[in-house]
Amino acid sequence: MRRYELLQSIAPLLTDEFVICNLGFPSQELYSIRDTDHHFYMLGSMGLSSSIGLGLAMEIDNTVISIDGDGSVLMNLGTLSTIALEDRKNFILLIVDNGSYGSTGDQPTHTAKGTSLAAIAKAAGIASSVEVAGVDAAEKLAECLKTPGPHVIVAKVEPGSPALTPIPLSSLAIRDRFRDAVKQART
Amino acid sequence: MSAGDVNQALLADLKANGADFFVSVPCKLLGGFISTLEQDNEITYRAVNREEEGLGICTGAYLAGRTPVMVMQNTGVGTLITSLCSLGNYYRLPFLMVVSHRGSPGEPIGAQVPMGTAVETLLQTINVPTYMFSSPSDTKKIGQLVPFASVAEGPVAAILDYDFWGAR
Repeated sequence: MRRYELLQSIAPLLTDEFVICNLGFPSQELYSIRDTDHHFYMLGSMGLSSSIGLGLAMEIDNTVISIDGDGSVLMNLGTLSTIALEDRKNFILLIVDNGSYGSTGDQPTHTAKGTSLAAIAKAAGIASSVEVAGVDAAEKLAECLKTPGPHVIVAKVEPGSPALTPIPLSSLAIRDRFRDAVKQART
Repeated sequence: MSAGDVNQALLADLKANGADFFVSVPCKLLGGFISTLEQDNEITYRAVNREEEGLGICTGAYLAGRTPVMVMQNTGVGTLITSLCSLGNYYRLPFLMVVSHRGSPGEPIGAQVPMGTAVETLLQTINVPTYMFSSPSDTKKIGQLVPFASVAEGPVAAILDYDFWGAR
């Protein structure tokens, strides 16, 4: 299973959750599977999907899911401790761990060589931090959606992406429709 | 005006202009202001590990309708450039950075000077409107940068030097 198939498997679970999606390739994949105004496609700023999701979860009641990558989380490990301290029941960090920098030619990340992001997240203080096989990610996410977080799910998948095209939305369109959807959810 | 009064006035002017969500990365010059933030019950305030993380959290708060301010040292601008461009500028996220100016006159540590010298040019190079403040009487002008960030539709920086706190 690759990230694309994993995203296909979790998409049916998403209803009123708000999703922050990491970088170009994962965002293209999610967009092609399912696009709604509850998705914020973060196309630059590698590493910040987790922190954006946390900031949002601090302010709203809906569940927030940050879809992140192993290379990206390795760039912003400190935020795992902030997620732990903040202790938001409505926050889920789904790390799709393919052990590679998929956007730049599949160079291996350190998770391909033994680093466990679930163990790091647990040591940072997030008790509900687990690693699962990609095929089991949807079942685990369904369970996490029903129980208080914060949750970290590290889903192990194979590298690789289907050939897709860039999302045909401007950055301002992504920003404004998401912000409007959050506003509606709060009223 | 004592340094404590300056910090109270700065927070009051930021709040009066709508700022309601603050994150900070520590700085010796900002120590008193950070204490002032910690003691204010009307705002949301969080300490973060790094400026990029702070920008991410401020982005989430902005998407939820809050008006964020990031409080940080000028050295942090160096780690923040890419995310200021690809997140702050690309999505045109209005928020104010209140930046202390280490490495400017009054600075006792030589290692601070190179970044202290570069910071204004770095921010201007990536088109972040950047203003320098040196007087305790500038708090009103700094507060007005909160709505100005919305007008400018993007990140805005206020750089506060030693003289702002009467620290030399």
